[in-house]
Amino acid sequence: MRFLALLKKELRESLPWLLLAALIVLGVGLVRLRPRAPFSVADYWQYTSGMTPGEPVNVHYLVGAAQLELPAVWLAFIAPALGLVLGVRHFWVPLFTRTWSFLLHRSAKRSTVLAAKLAAAAIALVVPLGLVWISLHRYACRPDVFPFPEPIKVFASGWLCIALGFVVYLGTALSALSTARWYTTRILGLAFATLAVFFIIAQWKLTWIITLTILAIAILLIQTVAAFEDREF
Amino acid sequence: MSEIVLETKGLTKYYGGKLALDHLDLQIPRGSICGFLGRNGAGKTTAIKMMLGLLHPTAGSAALLGCDSAALTPAVRQRIGYVTEGHRLFRWMSIAKLERFQRAFFPEQWDDRFFGDMIEYFELSTKQKIKHLSNGQRAQVSLALALAPNPELLIMDDPTLGLDAAIRRQFLEGMIELITRQGRTVLFSSHILADVERVADRVVVVDRGRLRADCPLEAFRASVRKVIAKFSDTAPSEAQIEGLLHCRHSKKQLEMTLVDVGDAEVAEWARQTGAEHYEFVEMNLEDQFIEFTAPPNHRRLFQWEEVE
Repeated sequence: MRFLALLKKELRESLPWLLLAALIVLGVGLVRLRPRAPFSVADYWQYTSGMTPGEPVNVHYLVGAAQLELPAVWLAFIAPALGLVLGVRHFWVPLFTRTWSFLLHRSAKRSTVLAAKLAAAAIALVVPLGLVWISLHRYACRPDVFPFPEPIKVFASGWLCIALGFVVYLGTALSALSTARWYTTRILGLAFATLAVFFIIAQWKLTWIITLTILAIAILLIQTVAAFEDREF
Repeated sequence: MSEIVLETKGLTKYYGGKLALDHLDLQIPRGSICGFLGRNGAGKTTAIKMMLGLLHPTAGSAALLGCDSAALTPAVRQRIGYVTEGHRLFRWMSIAKLERFQRAFFPEQWDDRFFGDMIEYFELSTKQKIKHLSNGQRAQVSLALALAPNPELLIMDDPTLGLDAAIRRQFLEGMIELITRQGRTVLFSSHILADVERVADRVVVVDRGRLRADCPLEAFRASVRKVIAKFSDTAPSEAQIEGLLHCRHSKKQLEMTLVDVGDAEVAEWARQTGAEHYEFVEMNLEDQFIEFTAPPNHRRLFQWEEVE
């Protein structure tokens, strides 16, 4: 009951931002996925490769081509941006509004308060962006709309982008919880998260991307939990 | 001896190299209404936050309801009401939403009727959003939220700061509502000495981080006294008397603030110094507090006041 009350509060505070993020990704996706009837294989080839009509169709290219690549690129920016906004909303705003004292004097453990924030962030990232992504993917895979189904790698990359949002969220939380000065160690949480996101995006192998994402989340999560338990408010 | 519900032992806090609280030793018995007094920056908020486990002491410890403040369990927090300085609440919530939020943490104790009555008494609507409330109204909501779970111990950090006289009175009446319930203990810091005088039965005075007094209000009222002695010739520039806090002299007059000095000792001092006449001057709590916490080298703002 206590956890749910905290979770509801955090989600309600995040609501405008997660709706905005979901709408942006949905908008980009829908613009990209406009059906162009009649849509033959040759048209699709021309559309995805930019080749002129009449040129031989490269079937291998077509199988690897993805309608969702552009929305995935947008998601790679939107999800971390949402993570940043949520981190600010959950950890920074209470510092400015001085509501930490009120929040922490609940009949709940500090770990419960933090767990509610983390769960709210995870839900705020995964549910709206995930639903939009699944919807776009299902739409892109309709044989009556597009001649080739979306590659699974592109679908998976969308979820990894969402996970990167959580990396930035934790980095923002860690910086907010630090009591050091900006030009000293306070910046490290956010800097680590930003560098991790760019480093992960630059990888080509899916296994590396997954491994590095998990590693970055694990490092930041451990630090955030330790900082929150020990922080003075 | 009555049960101690709030206790600090050598509670000390440094912010970097700055000493904020210096070995605070307190014992507040159950049923006390304790005014926690001190000037700005005296260490009141720091002490309260350490009592509630929101700040870590540099040294010493605090215990509320027998539980170490550093490890207050949810069950113990449930028995403690806390009104934060400035009544910082979630601005986007309506009073009704805030009530639902607060109630979730006090499932068995929450008194719906009491909360409703208080909101009605303060002429508020549960539909009103916190961001649309004035400071005074936010204070009233804060108090209602803190009192509705019927806490055994209520800690309030400067709850009447910035409120006008009428709202302050309403606020204090709300507080008295809790006090009338048996066995409730209240600790509240305040700058408004008239408020303290009205409701407190005990005072704790901290000054520049140090505990200066922890006693029943009446004992404090009786112990801080001002004496004005007149001399036929030039008044001595200093007074040698044990318990002297401050001494101001003009040409033929000596004004002394004394602590724990009996009538007989003052009479003896007057005889020794050859004072022509002396009298005790009535002081209200505010005057006593100001004199009690004034720095030793305290000077008047307007020096012409000392010119006879």
